[in-house]
Amino acid sequence: MPTRKRFIQQTALATGAFLAGGMLNSAVAADAEAEVEKLTILHTNDVHSRLEPFPMDGSRNQGLGGVAARALEISKVRAEQRNVLLLDAGDIFQGTPFFNFYKGEPEMKAMTMMGYDACTMGNHDFDAGMENFATQMKHAKFPVILCNYDFTGTPLEYKTVPYTIINKGKLKIGITGVGIEMKGLVPDNLYGNTQYLDPVVQANRVAEQLKRQDNCDMVICLSHLGFRYREPKVSDEIFAKESVHIDLIIGGHTHTFFDAPVVYKNKSGSDVVVNQVGWAGIVLGRLDYAFQRNKKKNLEASHTVVIGKKTSE
Amino acid sequence: MPDSLKQYRLVRLLFCLMATGVILPACKTSYQPSSLQYEQFRITEKAPQDTNLQAMIRPYADSVNRIMNQVIGNVATDLEKKQPEGSLGNLMADAVFAEASRVFSKQVDVAFINYGGIRVAQIPAGPLTLNQVFEMMPFDNLLVVQQLPGSVLQEFLDNIAARGGWPISGGQFVIRNKKATDVLIGGQPLDLNRTYTVVNSDYVANGGDDAAMLRSFPQENRGFLVRDALIHYFKGLTAKGEAITATTSNRVRHAN
Repeated sequence: MPTRKRFIQQTALATGAFLAGGMLNSAVAADAEAEVEKLTILHTNDVHSRLEPFPMDGSRNQGLGGVAARALEISKVRAEQRNVLLLDAGDIFQGTPFFNFYKGEPEMKAMTMMGYDACTMGNHDFDAGMENFATQMKHAKFPVILCNYDFTGTPLEYKTVPYTIINKGKLKIGITGVGIEMKGLVPDNLYGNTQYLDPVVQANRVAEQLKRQDNCDMVICLSHLGFRYREPKVSDEIFAKESVHIDLIIGGHTHTFFDAPVVYKNKSGSDVVVNQVGWAGIVLGRLDYAFQRNKKKNLEASHTVVIGKKTSE
Repeated sequence: MPDSLKQYRLVRLLFCLMATGVILPACKTSYQPSSLQYEQFRITEKAPQDTNLQAMIRPYADSVNRIMNQVIGNVATDLEKKQPEGSLGNLMADAVFAEASRVFSKQVDVAFINYGGIRVAQIPAGPLTLNQVFEMMPFDNLLVVQQLPGSVLQEFLDNIAARGGWPISGGQFVIRNKKATDVLIGGQPLDLNRTYTVVNSDYVANGGDDAAMLRSFPQENRGFLVRDALIHYFKGLTAKGEAITATTSNRVRHAN
């Protein structure tokens, strides 16, 4: 009897300890496989109306980019992976004669055909006016996400959303977006009464709601703030360090080709990943995330993401 | 033994129920990113194409390319976009300087191209197509002239210096501690009390790229775009049998 009693006590202690630690126990986890969920994020930024590849004129970028090649690559990934998101961080418009002729219509149609899940707006998406952007959005079957532009009283009022939530497999992904300050960058008449709000404050507010109230497993922010600047101006680098509850920032504006995603510690000590893929659709970014199931999810506890270069399928 | 196993199971079940009860509200957010593998996938000319996308853009591309493949000049040497000074920027600044004098029928003192407004990194030697000029300057910005006091021109040049230097035609300066120094306009030192006839795009004259100091000064325009100026200038060279060429000549440099 004492033996049995001790056995029960020990078991109880051990069980209690594992529960207190919030760790998984193989006895509880019936199938370890089910505890891992995967998500592949494909992304572009600053495509700038590059529908066809750069012309074969002997310039450095000749032959690169183009929607037809990108679309096939996206299809290949979708065929191999169950959970795929396709995102764009703005400046869809301006840069080739396609935009001078058609004001963004084929760009939006191409993105819809490729199955983009969401985009944000860049400064050049204002170039043919807000009314035009609203018009071209009729060709887009994906939301335009911005949480720091107040479009009240403009042609873009009610056209954009501050966030969206997409379920992929067992995952719930919250997506928000931030735009750059227009003053001194976008001609006044093109952004009219649009009010620019602090992107860090707004994104943190939305991200907190997405994580705490909507119970998202991950929050992605599409950003057209730019990677970083010499002068003291809000950038993805500053934003990342000042952020809470954001896991990934898909950047743009500065046309920066990252060799690898950059990882920062956010305000609560958790990893936040920033990635940007240059411009013109020369590069398609691919981020393959693995998610771990957490029995005890403590939002305040910091967590890290192990990052590595993809080697093979 | 079966007895103890039963009790063990009971204890485990109890703890699991308690655990579930305590943790359930948070269980909805039970996944967390733990690892990430990345790939920056280059889309090259060898990449296979999606036929549906090709079919969608073809009618647009046919119309665009029919006009844009027109050759309007011949570039003698590779032209580069560079700061503080580059051959491509010098060519564009010289083009708007010459075209502004013609279009506004007056001698202008100095012309600028905003560096960020040049949208190609390079124009290779060879035939120059209309498409390349559109890609070089895709914006429908107007060519404008302003009468600026020398003091405002100095302030504008300081903004350019702080930004690492922009293409200039009709003048030169040295960047020292993010300020424009040793400024020469038309070969003469900048006179803060004189008025200068300055060429810019309406984007810059309206305060774009933080050129707020220009905003209050009246603009003259003839409905002529900066890009129109470039096209007219390049076609003019071609008509004269001249190739398009440019060099760097220390118009803008950093102090050593």
